[in-house]
Parts: sequence; C-alpha cells; structure tokens
Amino acid sequence: MKRYFAVLLGILTAIGGFVDIGDLVTNAQVGARLGMSLVWVVVLGVVGICVFAEMSGRIAAVSHRATFDLVRERLGPGMGLLNLVGSMLVTMLTFIAEIGGVALALQLVSSLHHLLIVPFVAVAVWIVLWRAKFSAIENVLGLMGLALIAFAVALWQLGPDWGELVSGLSPAEKPGAESWATYAFFGVALFGAAMTPYEVFFFSSGGVEERWTSKDLGVMRANVFIGFPLGGLLSVAIAGCAATLFLPQGIAVETLGQVGLPVAVALGKVGLAVVVLGFFAATFGAACETGLSTGYSLAQYFGFPWGKFVRPKEAAGFHIILLVTTVIAAGVLLTGVDPIMVTEISVVFSAVALPLTYFPILVVANDPDYLGEHVNGRLANALGVFYLVVLTVAALAAIPLMVVTSMGQG
Amino acid sequence: MRPAVVAVPALLLLAGLLGACGVVSRPDAAAWDDQATLALTDAGSQVATARLALTSAAKERTWSPYTTVLVAEAEEAAAKAEEDLARVQVPPGRADDAAAVLDLLDRAAGLVGEARAHAVDGEYDDRSLLDDLDRLAGELQKAAG
Repeated sequence: MKRYFAVLLGILTAIGGFVDIGDLVTNAQVGARLGMSLVWVVVLGVVGICVFAEMSGRIAAVSHRATFDLVRERLGPGMGLLNLVGSMLVTMLTFIAEIGGVALALQLVSSLHHLLIVPFVAVAVWIVLWRAKFSAIENVLGLMGLALIAFAVALWQLGPDWGELVSGLSPAEKPGAESWATYAFFGVALFGAAMTPYEVFFFSSGGVEERWTSKDLGVMRANVFIGFPLGGLLSVAIAGCAATLFLPQGIAVETLGQVGLPVAVALGKVGLAVVVLGFFAATFGAACETGLSTGYSLAQYFGFPWGKFVRPKEAAGFHIILLVTTVIAAGVLLTGVDPIMVTEISVVFSAVALPLTYFPILVVANDPDYLGEHVNGRLANALGVFYLVVLTVAALAAIPLMVVTSMGQG
Repeated sequence: MRPAVVAVPALLLLAGLLGACGVVSRPDAAAWDDQATLALTDAGSQVATARLALTSAAKERTWSPYTTVLVAEAEEAAAKAEEDLARVQVPPGRADDAAAVLDLLDRAAGLVGEARAHAVDGEYDDRSLLDDLDRLAGELQKAAG
C-alpha cells in the first residue's frame, strides 16, 4: 500500500511540478499566435525530457551519484567545466525568471508592483531552500501545482470547435500572417522550455537526496513516463486556451495576467483563484528547483558536500551558493528588467545549452563501470542519439532565429 | 596563432558594433512599414486585452487587482508601441502615412489609459468606452493589414 502511495504521490508531484514560468508564458504565446500548430513540438520535448530524465534518474539510483559528479569524472574537467558553465548560465537565467514569476503571480492578487514583491520572494525562497526538507519542497509545491489543471477545465468550458482545434494541430494550419521563421523560433523556444536543463539535474540530484536504489527504478520510471506526459498535457491545455480565446481577437500574450485570463473568462473568480495559486506554486516550486540546481551543479563539480540531506553546517559551501545566487537573482530583477523578457531569453538559451547538458548524460548512461547491468538498452540509445541530433539542430538554430525574428516579433 | 590574426578580426568586430550603436540609420520604406505594422498589431492586441479585461470584470469573472494590473500593463505596452515607432526616422515621402499611423497609436494609448482609469475606479461596464475599444481594435487590425 505504501509503495502504491509513493508511486501516486510521485506521479502527482511530477505532473504538478512539470510546468514552470517558461512553459506558462511560451505555451500561451504560441497558442495566441500560432494556434495548436506547434503542439507536436511539446510532444517532441516531453518525450525527450522523459528519455533523459529516465537516464539521469537511473544513473542516480544505480551509482548513488549525481550528474555533475560523474560527468567531470567520466569526461574530464574540461568537458565537465563546459557542461557546468553552459547549464549554470541557463539555470541562473531560469532562476531569475522563476523568482520574477512568483512576484508577478502575487502582483495579480495584490496589485502591488512586482519590484516591491521581489525582495520578499527572494527571502522566502532562500528560507525554504535553507530550512525546508527536500520532500516537503517537492511534494507540497508539486501538489499545489496541480491547480494548473484549471487550464484543462477552462478549455473544455470555453467550448472550442474541437474539430477545428484538432485540425489545427497540423503545421500546415499555421496562421498565414506569421512567417515560417517566427514559427521556427517559437518551435525552438517551446522545445527549450520543455527540455530545460535544470529539470534533469534536479531530478538526478533529488534521486541521490532521497537515496534511491535499483529497487526504486520502477517508481522513478512511473514518475517519468506517466507524470511528465500528463504535465505536458497541461502545457497543451494552456496553448489551447490561448488559441481559443486570444487568436481570433488578435491578442498577443505578453504578461502573466493574460495567461490566466482564459480561465477567468471560462470559470470566473474561483477558477481564476485556483489558477493564480497554480502560477504561484509552479513558479515558487521551480524557483526552489533551479536554486537548488545551481547549488547542486557547482558543489558536485568542485566536489564539496551538498544537498538537503546534509546538515547546513556540514554543507556550508552549498548553502552559501544558494544564498549568493538568490541575492544575484533578486538583484538582477531589481534593475527593473521585465521577468517575462528574462523568461523568453531563458527558454531560447536553454535550447542553445541543450547538447552540452544531455550529451554527457548519454555517455555516462552507457558506462558499465557506473551502471553495470543497468546501462542503456538499444531503445534508450536510439532515442538518445535521435534527440542529440534534434538538440544540436535546435541549439544551432536558436540564436540566428532569435536575431532574424527579433525575439519572435515578426 | 599570431596576435595580429586574433587582434584584427576582434578590432573589426568592435568597430562594427560601435558603428552600429553610434549611427542613426534611415530605414527604407519597407523597413518602416514593418515597424509600423508591428506597432499597430501590438497596439491592437493591447486595446483588445483592455476590452476583454473590462468585460470579464463587468461579468464579475475577475477581481479588482487582477483587472487593474492587466489593464495597466496593456496601457504601458500600448504607449511603448507608440513611442518605439515615433523614434524611427520616417522615410522620405511617407510623412502623411506616418502621421496617420502615429495618430492611431496615440488614440490607442489614450483609450487604454482611459480604460485603466475606469478599472481603478471599478467602473467596468461603461458601454461607450467598450464600444470605442471595440471600434479602435478593429481600426488597428485593419491598418496593420
């Protein structure tokens, strides 16, 4: 019974924790401008994150060591450093965007300017990172994130023409006013949002924090292969709501308030309250995950004690990194930079850093010295290699598309 | 690698970047048209957002701070669309077109500002304001092509 409960809890928190500020904003933007024609990219991204999360989770469960620890040892300090710098920069950008996202969510309730809220959010995130148990962060915020299911209910209540919505899934149904370059730019951004590097670092480090063993592989796979795709459905529902309400009215999404508006139109104040709670949980949870991921990455690379399972006094370096990165994130936001713009940039640069993040995982997952009988099978390797090709194409195309389309403006 | 091999391209790149930052370019008519279309589309989106926010609030589907934030952000974005286009040098022979577009954008910024004032005061169901927003959103969409 306890095991079934663990599986259910893991799946629910994986669903609730799947969506972050990048998914919220990018899916709504894409739905409003391109309808459902890029849903295939969400599917591609979700399958990709499942493939690599399963590999990194298996590495953690079998070797009891986390990603950076092994990447540096297996591929050398040079490759490890490249991997560290690339993914750290993107994770830091994402951390800034998530803290900004929490402030924007609270602004929608209070109407206080988000800059006044940012310092309080930063302090709250730091206190949670310092004091709260790992399982509490993962479970409480993950379960609260399930409030975003309101998007799926809202889509049903908006009563779209389902036939039209389904036929809009074809790339050929891209609105004629949008160029193919814009379509490709948003495709890369959606892919970057779905496969954000911090997700695998957090997942594998979390596995070490929770002391996974080979016996936990089944639960881990259930979380990944059931929880992540169901989380991906929330992304599709967000895009569907925006496509149904905004696309016919020519409304482009530029703020978090607009992202929630279809839920208000469909479900009223109660639905809106639920979805704003979802915004808060998704962004606060992701802020904790990205904050922890920066600490995990640096501490694992430089080889000093890390994690929530170690007393703060014994992992002082890890906790100092958490404090410093939180101060930096708040400082950047207090310059007045728009958190939504940071989000847009973070998902594009996430796409740029993808090969640096995922190639080492594929290498380590094939090393019998670490994984013994649990090394990648043929299917995992075929999918891993296929995704490395896709990731490389996305990474190479990201910056040119960003320049050509002026960040998707046209 | 000889230092000159590295230094020359680096200096050229630096010179190019400084040149790009320091020179005000005169866009051709096509580039100005693109910028005008972008500004009109942005402004149309903000006007439609303000209208949707007010009608949702009038039906009691949103709460007051949410509506205020939504419309205030739309006002800021509409004003930015106008300012961004106003800063672009108008191509020769397009002064009348530019004046018409900027006038439309000015009306959009003004009307969304009025919508914000109504949102702050909790007056969500001013029929004439909603009609004006509706009409202007249509005009902006038509002008954007």
